[in-house]
Amino acid sequence: MHEMSLVQGLLTQLKELAHEHNRTKVISVCMEIGPLSGVVIDSFQFGFDILSKEEALTKKAKLIIESPPALYRCFGCGLEIEAVQRPDCCVNCSETLFSPQGGDGLILRQVEME
Amino acid sequence: MCDACGCDLKPEHTHDSKVIEVHQSLLAANTAMAKKNRVHIEKMGAVAINMISSPGSGKTTLLEKTIEAIGDTLRIGVIEGDIETDRDAQRIRAKGVPVIQLTTGGACHLDAAQIHKGLHLLEKEEGGAELDVLFIENVGNLVCPATFDLGEHHRIVFVSVPEGPDKPAKYPKAFHSSQVFIITKTDLLPYFDFPVEEAKAEALQLNPNLLVMDLSATSGEGFEQWLDYLKEVCGKSF
Repeated sequence: MHEMSLVQGLLTQLKELAHEHNRTKVISVCMEIGPLSGVVIDSFQFGFDILSKEEALTKKAKLIIESPPALYRCFGCGLEIEAVQRPDCCVNCSETLFSPQGGDGLILRQVEME
Repeated sequence: MCDACGCDLKPEHTHDSKVIEVHQSLLAANTAMAKKNRVHIEKMGAVAINMISSPGSGKTTLLEKTIEAIGDTLRIGVIEGDIETDRDAQRIRAKGVPVIQLTTGGACHLDAAQIHKGLHLLEKEEGGAELDVLFIENVGNLVCPATFDLGEHHRIVFVSVPEGPDKPAKYPKAFHSSQVFIITKTDLLPYFDFPVEEAKAEALQLNPNLLVMDLSATSGEGFEQWLDYLKEVCGKSF
């Protein structure tokens, strides 16, 4: 699905960074992929494993993915609950409606190059 | 052993490696282009609506009936997104409004760069440069289009009665990121097990801010609410 095109975008960005910093090899790439980003982490990793091998720059690059939890704000009492999955109901007021805050990041955090 | 010079350091920790802090969204380029599109669309005088659904949920039929109902009083333009063919654009063109077809050639979603191109093409169509509302009919897919801002002002997710009521639970991102949820083909309710209120409640559970409606473009049931919504977002009465 769209994970492949997102990985292509990442590899383009890595090329630009390598050029900018005058580096020839990517050692590791650290990404944040939130649980509400709409991106499947396994598919992203799979896409990276395949596409990174096609370029000398990224051939040996290691992809590290971090997935921080989202914050769910209770519609009833405003309590904020940190969770990877939507809570069933609020522990404070039993409300079942929550509005998610964040958790939708798809962020290139850090790249190690030489 | 280090690949670069043969020393005993592990490859991950060669002495001349450099850590670069980036902290930039992979979607940054798309988002920047989407912002430009939004400005462009506003200069055309229009409000843009991004329509997201599975294939065959009735988006094109809804557009045809909407043009029939209000095409004289509201300047409507359409950008059609499909993997192949310009069939949808032909259907819309037959209703007499400016339309262009984007074919993605296999890609499962529209992105902001394609819409940028689409806007320039639409402006060359007769009546396409000044609009009240621009409908962007995305590629039929409830997954990938949800990730890409196109520069729209409103996003609507559609589910048709034959698809079943469990779509909000199965495809949460499309429902998180939309402002409106519309159940289509309600004329088929007698033939399918589709508890409308349960489906609405499930969608609201995912996104309590959703405006929810149900309609049938074929029978006209629920169409008033849809037209009222369009009036409101365009800031026009008709």
